[in-house]
Amino acid sequence: MAEMVRKSSVGEVVNHWILAGSCIMLIITGYSFLFHIEVISSVFGGFETMKTVHNWGGVVFILSLLVSMVHYLKDAFEYDADDLQWFKVAGGYLSHKVKVPPMGKYNPGQKLYYLGIVGAGIAIALSGFGIWFMKDNVTVMLVSHLVHNVAFCVFVIAVPVHIYLSTLANPGTFQIMVNGMLPLSDAKKKYPKWMKSVGKM
Amino acid sequence: MANDKTNNRKAILVTPEACIGCRGCQVACKSWNQLPGIKTKNNGTYQNPPDLASAAFNIIQYNEVPSKENPVRWLFVSRRCMHCDDAGCMKICPSGALYRTAEGAVAYDRDKCIGCKLCVTACPFDVPRYDTDNKVTKCHLCFDRIGAGMQPACVKTCPTAALKFGDRDELIATAKKEGFGTIYGEKDLGGLGSVYAFKDEPKLYGMKENPSIPSSVVFWHNYLKPLSAIGLGGVVAAAAIHYLAIGPHKEEKEEV
Ligand code: HEM
Ligand code: SF4
Ligand code: SF4
Ligand code: SF4
Repeated sequence: MAEMVRKSSVGEVVNHWILAGSCIMLIITGYSFLFHIEVISSVFGGFETMKTVHNWGGVVFILSLLVSMVHYLKDAFEYDADDLQWFKVAGGYLSHKVKVPPMGKYNPGQKLYYLGIVGAGIAIALSGFGIWFMKDNVTVMLVSHLVHNVAFCVFVIAVPVHIYLSTLANPGTFQIMVNGMLPLSDAKKKYPKWMKSVGKM
Repeated sequence: MANDKTNNRKAILVTPEACIGCRGCQVACKSWNQLPGIKTKNNGTYQNPPDLASAAFNIIQYNEVPSKENPVRWLFVSRRCMHCDDAGCMKICPSGALYRTAEGAVAYDRDKCIGCKLCVTACPFDVPRYDTDNKVTKCHLCFDRIGAGMQPACVKTCPTAALKFGDRDELIATAKKEGFGTIYGEKDLGGLGSVYAFKDEPKLYGMKENPSIPSSVVFWHNYLKPLSAIGLGGVVAAAAIHYLAIGPHKEEKEEV
């Protein structure tokens, strides 16, 4: 067996799946509310129960998002010249011929994705609480309703891209969110700067 | 489609000048809909209850507007759901509890209501109320009666024909022929299902001028809702195309 290296701690992996599970559940029930999809609401026994599930799912989601800040927020704010170059070659996603600069633990696409999720996540949670608890204030309700739906659009576009990039588009990556490990040889190719910084290269 | 709808669309025509303020309509509505009484206080007006409530689907608004000829002029205006053609409440309702009947009434399915109160925020006329179970209540144009060929309870009981029920187009045409200068609700929000025959400007009767659905709700309905569906479909399609046309990252070929 090839030597393995840990990229994500057990805590990161567990929290990721709480975040992902709650987020996807919120998206599915959100669509059901938006388009009155009864095949979905009937799974919960109706819209009333689905609303309760959606509300409390939102609480789980935002708590999990807060926890994730401990894991990713610091990295997500640090960019260097290689990161800039990464954008110029579109991360190597549009052509396999371009030379992708050496990356750290996360590429700038992932870092921006994270910041996007944090921004949209805070917005969707706050506005969700607005709709949930401030029913008697028409202005709060209208603003919240608008913000909630703008953030929803961010999620339904960003999350599928993330899922695709972390599974089909980058074979081997999904493994990281299963047990947190990947082969050392892969890590050296994918994240040379990170490997150097932890003295493995 | 649009034509179909207008052709068999029913409406209530309210004519304040004919109303004597007997409030029979309020009582008939309570009776048909089995609504409890409300304890209220005398606050210096005959208007009672003071506002629409979960147990008051319609009220007579007692507008005191003295004129030169008539120092004690009252304009009695029956207030209730307007059964808007372009109904903000239906647009925003996340559970589909509010729906339109074949006659054009905006009715609701109590069991489906989740008590979110979004319909209140999107209604231009501040109509929906909530009962003690947190379920929406409002005038439903007696959809159960008119669906069976009867008149709404309030109309049936009205002794002066201040409330009339019938084909919307006919009611409006007749009111115009009778010389009413202003037909409130003829065009607003795609045409209201409660239309008012006025002799004076609507403001005098306490009516909202240029009622409209909040613009954020219109924006959400016209752009955000489609974007959320097209956005998801678009990125899934883009991912599939990317996978087929360019394909996944192959580490070996791009050795650093
Ligand atoms: C079934 C769906 C999902 C799969 C298969 C998946 C997979 C992954 C994988 C493999 C990683 C590790 C990437 C790496 O270390 O390079 C990751 C990271 C991450 N995931 Fe997911 N994920 C899913 C859903 C979600 C959802 C719904 C959210 C958000 C709300 C989310 C948020 C994150 C975040 C914030 C990271 C941290 C690093 C980054 O920015 O990429 N994931 N995910
Ligand atoms: S029943 Fe007719 S006359 Fe009596 S208050 Fe109602 S609308 Fe006016
Ligand atoms: S008046 Fe308000 S509650 Fe009645 S149909 Fe119009 S938007 Fe809905
Ligand atoms: S139409 Fe029916 S529900 Fe509406 S006010 Fe009249 S009696 Fe009440």
